[in-house]
Amino acid sequence: MNHRHLLPDEIDLLLDDDEVGFGATPLKAHIRDCVDCRARVDEARMIVAELEDLPHFAPSYNFANRVMAQVPVFVPWHVTARQTIAQFIPQSRSARIAVAGLATAVASVLTVGLLWISTQTDVLVVASGAAGSQMRGLIFDAGRVVLSTVVGDQMFAAIQRTGQVGIVAALLGLAAAAGGSIAGLRALAIASSRRRA
Amino acid sequence: MPPALDLLNLPDADVVALAQQGRETAFRELIRRYERPVFSLIYRMVRDRELAEDLAQDTFIKVLNHIDRYRPEFKLSSWLFKIANNVAIDHLRRRQLDTISMDGSPHAQTADAIEATSFDVVVDQESALDELEAREMGTAIERAIASLRPEYRSCIMLRHVEGRSYEEIAATLDLPLGTVKTYIHRARHELRRALEHLREDSG
Repeated sequence: MNHRHLLPDEIDLLLDDDEVGFGATPLKAHIRDCVDCRARVDEARMIVAELEDLPHFAPSYNFANRVMAQVPVFVPWHVTARQTIAQFIPQSRSARIAVAGLATAVASVLTVGLLWISTQTDVLVVASGAAGSQMRGLIFDAGRVVLSTVVGDQMFAAIQRTGQVGIVAALLGLAAAAGGSIAGLRALAIASSRRRA
Repeated sequence: MPPALDLLNLPDADVVALAQQGRETAFRELIRRYERPVFSLIYRMVRDRELAEDLAQDTFIKVLNHIDRYRPEFKLSSWLFKIANNVAIDHLRRRQLDTISMDGSPHAQTADAIEATSFDVVVDQESALDELEAREMGTAIERAIASLRPEYRSCIMLRHVEGRSYEEIAATLDLPLGTVKTYIHRARHELRRALEHLREDSG
């Protein structure tokens, strides 16, 4: 029998069932023979058992509500989109097959149509030219409406006198001001939420 | 309308995924699962029910407001305990409560020193809540835990009350594995010493 009594660290080693390695074998052999050390290990195990039996305390019944009052729940856009699409998908299998068949037929017709158009170069040139001028017109009209609304009719008339360059410059300035405002507001919101956190 | 789910039987990672999709019931399920362990950890750290509730509330708000940043390779409970421990330790540091103990300074070596550093709280009309609090925190083991240094306290509670491995505790508390082992060994040693008198009284 080994007459050296166990050190506190060695007693501790015997308390961790999941951590005990080969080094514990002689310690276990020692406590089998040494009444004093066995008593000390038993006492230490009793304290561990008491610790493990400690109950969990419950917060007040309203705790979850108080937490949730300060946690804004957002549904991300991709989840909203998925849920919206899911609303249009029929529940029954046969209806789903019918809808899938119809969607395939429509997609096939559109694909064939697009392929045919892409082979007609002259039609493409005319159509893209017409679409381009139409788009330009729409953008300029929208820009004029925005500018006249923001700066007023008299100021808009003054800008218009400088020609297209003036209108474009005014629109770019407006866009820059709007962008700056959005960035500033975003920075403020982030700083505020960090302070709250 | 999304279909109703049996959240009770889902693993944490799935409930978190639902919370990330904006389901309020998933947020509530996470609170239900961890309100007691988190509250208990903080309560045993600060020993004040009202304050512990506020700090536990802060913990959940921090975690749930950043649920989109949760990484599934990390246990949710570890994340919660990490925040809870930080919140409690920060509070103790701010208030320096770790140096105040009703049972005297943990550094006092002699009976005279313990008596000199201890104080009695005299309350004439103790409310029912205070009485309950005193009773639930009044057992010898609770008092012994309260006398430990806060770092030892959180380690010993995570180890024995929450049943975490040394590695998990090290990851949760951002401490080296060796430090965690040392803290737990010292905490057990101090607990044994603190509870020795009970054994002597009963022996």
